[in-house]
Amino acid sequence: MAQTEEVKDKFEERLKNLSAEERQRILQSFKSKISSEYAAYLNTCAHCGLCADSCHYYLTSKEAKSIPAYKLALVTSVFKKAFDGVGQKLPNLLGGKDLSIPMIEEWVDSLFGRCTLCGRCTINCTMGINIPYLIRAARGALAEAGLVPPGLQSTVDTAVTKGNNMGIAKEDWLETVEWLEEELQQEVGDPEAKLPIDKKGARLLYTINPREAMFFPLSISAAGKVFYAAKADWTFSSENFDVTNYGLYNGDDEASGIMSGRLVQAMEELQCKELILAECGHGFNSNRWEAPEWLARKYGFPVSSILELLTRYIQGGQILLDPSKNEETVTLHDPCNLVRLGGIIEDQRFILRHAVKNFVEMYPNREKNFCCGGGGGQLAMTRFAQRRLEAGQIKADQIKKTGAKVVATPCHNCIDQLMELNKHYKLGIEIKTITEIVADALVLDTKG
Amino acid sequence: MEMEKILGYGVILSLCVTFLALCVLIKRTLSFTTKREFAVPQGNWKKGVVYAFGKGMMPWEKESARKHIFTYFAGFLYHFGIFSALIILILTVFALPVTPWAVLPSKILIALGLLCGIGLFIKRILIDHMRQISCLDDYVANFLVDMFLVLSFLTMNSPGFRTILYISAIAMILYIPLGKIRHCFFFFYSRFLFGRFFGRRGVFHGKKVQMKV
Repeated sequence: MAQTEEVKDKFEERLKNLSAEERQRILQSFKSKISSEYAAYLNTCAHCGLCADSCHYYLTSKEAKSIPAYKLALVTSVFKKAFDGVGQKLPNLLGGKDLSIPMIEEWVDSLFGRCTLCGRCTINCTMGINIPYLIRAARGALAEAGLVPPGLQSTVDTAVTKGNNMGIAKEDWLETVEWLEEELQQEVGDPEAKLPIDKKGARLLYTINPREAMFFPLSISAAGKVFYAAKADWTFSSENFDVTNYGLYNGDDEASGIMSGRLVQAMEELQCKELILAECGHGFNSNRWEAPEWLARKYGFPVSSILELLTRYIQGGQILLDPSKNEETVTLHDPCNLVRLGGIIEDQRFILRHAVKNFVEMYPNREKNFCCGGGGGQLAMTRFAQRRLEAGQIKADQIKKTGAKVVATPCHNCIDQLMELNKHYKLGIEIKTITEIVADALVLDTKG
Repeated sequence: MEMEKILGYGVILSLCVTFLALCVLIKRTLSFTTKREFAVPQGNWKKGVVYAFGKGMMPWEKESARKHIFTYFAGFLYHFGIFSALIILILTVFALPVTPWAVLPSKILIALGLLCGIGLFIKRILIDHMRQISCLDDYVANFLVDMFLVLSFLTMNSPGFRTILYISAIAMILYIPLGKIRHCFFFFYSRFLFGRFFGRRGVFHGKKVQMKV
């Protein structure tokens, strides 16, 4: 705890003592992240305020600082003063502001601490402004100056330096897979059941969220069991297995590229045909949509969510499910990065309708769903923890209204947040991944 | 009469100046880097764009519009009123006749637009969170446009207001590239980008997954 406080103090000290040159560098870094599309967005907001009620932070706090237009204005005002011809000459008229130390403090507080980059404001914006991407650009400028809140930055640093965001050593990972394999063999009664590692030429390369290896090994077992049932030709990588990419959240494109590049490297080294991403919302958005842009290359292989693969297995009859094995009422939380920003919308519903007896939707859902509050790197930034829990009240209320006892969500960040909401709001629910639910419903071929 | 003619030319000149200024603004915007898109699309960006300008604007589709239905329709009527007034202005400046059947609907649209504009102005002043997201530009732009609508309406009833309408129109037109009214041009591009982004990702017109029979 003392160490955390020390890190926090150092961060505050650095923030307060930024030199004019450093601030200028942040500004230039910000400019370098502005594409012509972003520049157009920065000229578009009419401050109509209709976005306010789309944001879970505003709805729960009613603070103007949490209105998406306010957060966007923090970015726009700096852009106008620094880079807009009219804004430079008439800053008072256009609300142009210098990137002063108080402004940077407000950037840190609002752009990191009041936004999960969920994109709900964008689909509710009259103009269609991609607010989270503009906020990410500003976050990225702060990242280059070392001004990312410590918890979030250390998650990125760990992933970049150690190969995965939990800093799991290779031998520990291999050991985990080994004992999970033994458990799988016992569970399915087949000593030949495998959790393959570095199998060259396997059709599928499966990635995991390192939190699964540390805290939720059952979700790895569940995936292994499904692959076993489907007789899949698949493998893990011993080195590059991390689906997460917190670079999406701190805005550091270079670090993001390093992390996602490792999965590409694993695909190429192992000569796999398809990259299968575990249930991780931001991992999906990062590796499916953003990574090719960070790496400035087209992939020579398809990138799919495990949900898409499960759908194929069910449709193709490779796995058989018995919904009566999941009797409790199940509802679904749609992770923003997977659904609204990722386009994986119907697969999880298709799977649940085949895997559980009683599936109920929460409202609103799909791309209109509310963020749980765990995205945007919030779980890693302890300084904003209270705000995160309060913002999660919308989700807690949505869940309560369904009356469901189980909440399925294909995202480990969402799971962590939902677990905290479960405790904080006394929801009395069980939280599971989709793969875990599928594994529970599997009808195994007794011949193996 | 002479002054009216000069101001009529002034309106035309201000339109030209504003057009040039907007071209400069667009050129500046496009001078920022253009990103290539490497990720393989899942959906159809064209369908996304159609959605962005069609169904995606509808209140039953958009929660923000549904929750603030009066503001949403006020915004619509305000813009219809402005476009009507601009058309009438251009016809007047070029001494072109307004089709008789269009006079009354134009008057109604301009009057409704004006009422909505004033309503939105009052809302911005009275509601705390609206004040907090506003800057001087928001008030100036609204004031200039409302004045233009007031004078357009008055001129349609009494041509004696034409001179002052032209002055008001010149001020408003010249303000377009300076302040927030520029959003009327960027709106179309932003909405296009919105549709393309979500369309490519298959969010609005994504794959359908049928239940296995």
